[in-house]
Amino acid sequence: MNIIPPSTLARVGLMAALTAVGAFIRIPFPYVPVTLQVPCVCLAGAWLGPRYGALSQVVYLLAGLLGFPVFAHGGGPQYLLKPSFGYLAAFPLAAWSVGKIGRGAHSTPRAIIATISGLVVVYLVGTAGLYLNLRFLTGQDISFAAVVRLGLLPLPKDLLLTLPVTVWVFRRREPGRSGRNTVRKCCCT
Amino acid sequence: MPALRNLTLGRYVPTASVVHGLDPRTKLLASIGLMVSVLATPNLPVLGLYFGFLAVSTRASRLPAAMLLRNLQAFTWLFLFTIIMHALMTPGTVLLAFPWWNLTVTREGAHGGLFYGLRLAAVIVTASLLTLTTAPLELTGGLERLLGPLRRIGVPAHDLALMITIALRFIPVLIDEAERLRKAQLARGADFGGGPLRRARQMIPLLAPLFISAFDRADRLALAMESRCYRGGEGRTSYHELRFRRHDLLAALIATMIGLGITIVPRLLHR
Repeated sequence: MNIIPPSTLARVGLMAALTAVGAFIRIPFPYVPVTLQVPCVCLAGAWLGPRYGALSQVVYLLAGLLGFPVFAHGGGPQYLLKPSFGYLAAFPLAAWSVGKIGRGAHSTPRAIIATISGLVVVYLVGTAGLYLNLRFLTGQDISFAAVVRLGLLPLPKDLLLTLPVTVWVFRRREPGRSGRNTVRKCCCT
Repeated sequence: MPALRNLTLGRYVPTASVVHGLDPRTKLLASIGLMVSVLATPNLPVLGLYFGFLAVSTRASRLPAAMLLRNLQAFTWLFLFTIIMHALMTPGTVLLAFPWWNLTVTREGAHGGLFYGLRLAAVIVTASLLTLTTAPLELTGGLERLLGPLRRIGVPAHDLALMITIALRFIPVLIDEAERLRKAQLARGADFGGGPLRRARQMIPLLAPLFISAFDRADRLALAMESRCYRGGEGRTSYHELRFRRHDLLAALIATMIGLGITIVPRLLHR
């Protein structure tokens, strides 16, 4: 692998930091509070492209697993055992998928499809992780349907929050619309 | 967001102990190995032996036991869920019956719940021991060295470690910035109250400037790195050199023995 340029290094680090901060900005919806984490993951894909978007999420996961308190409830290797770790593990893949499908998206429908693909990945892997964790780690006889019901609970709210944010980002990348160079020139893939 | 403000501290407890003095690479590998071994332990008595080892390590690292227990607290509901589900759902000899709810607690269920619950606790305590005795930046350095050989197959070990450091440096900056923006919008008459939908809409005047200024910052950092001739990890030296000493070897040997002792040996004896 050739040297990653400093500008990319800084941006990847920044997106990892934003994901960490996103975990702590809560909007108190009833039943399941929604954090800004999933929007940040989709942002990473939209802004950095598939490869570096995914890398930023790998950095985020590594930082958390090494023990920095960047996850919603602290950090450390024991987080691997949390039933909800599947959702975190899906972040790199989700960022990759948003970046891949939305690469150079100038139309709103394409941006929406890219964002939804990211959400689908998060929920698919997250729910599978939830099932595997409950089934094999704690050794419970729980039906897959019950886990799916449990796992999909926060989906509509995430969708509501993520779509506008990501579509906004994709549209800002459009030349001529963006007021600031900094946002326009960051298609660094 | 007080937890994130003193991020560099993490949950590391600096005391002068043998365990603290070990090379982070040794501790990383040993705890990963031990956590995997614990998940492969066959029965309760062996798990009990492992808890003995954990008690000795906690003594050796001069940590208050209450600290470790506090780390278990985050997993309370998972423990309860595990134990209760097992106790109620496993068929077998009935210990306790609740005819009103049509529920029974069986001997096998109670045993299973205890085993799975304790196994979970053992893994969590092992992981906590690692993060309580090793400074996070030390761990990052250790990870960089451990991943070093993988550079040949395209794993950017140095860049990963650097990006983790950059991310951690950015987090408090972003939090301060968000706070400043919130106050600025409040001063201009913004109202952050109301129902959930309204609140979600109120995030936009906060997030848009936050993201834009954050990217400005990243660009300035990149410029600073370039003007100081940053050229990647090739041939870079570090101020704190990691050394693999004799007691690291000893610790690695002990961890290997314990790991094998709780997985393979009981199975061999049983045959």
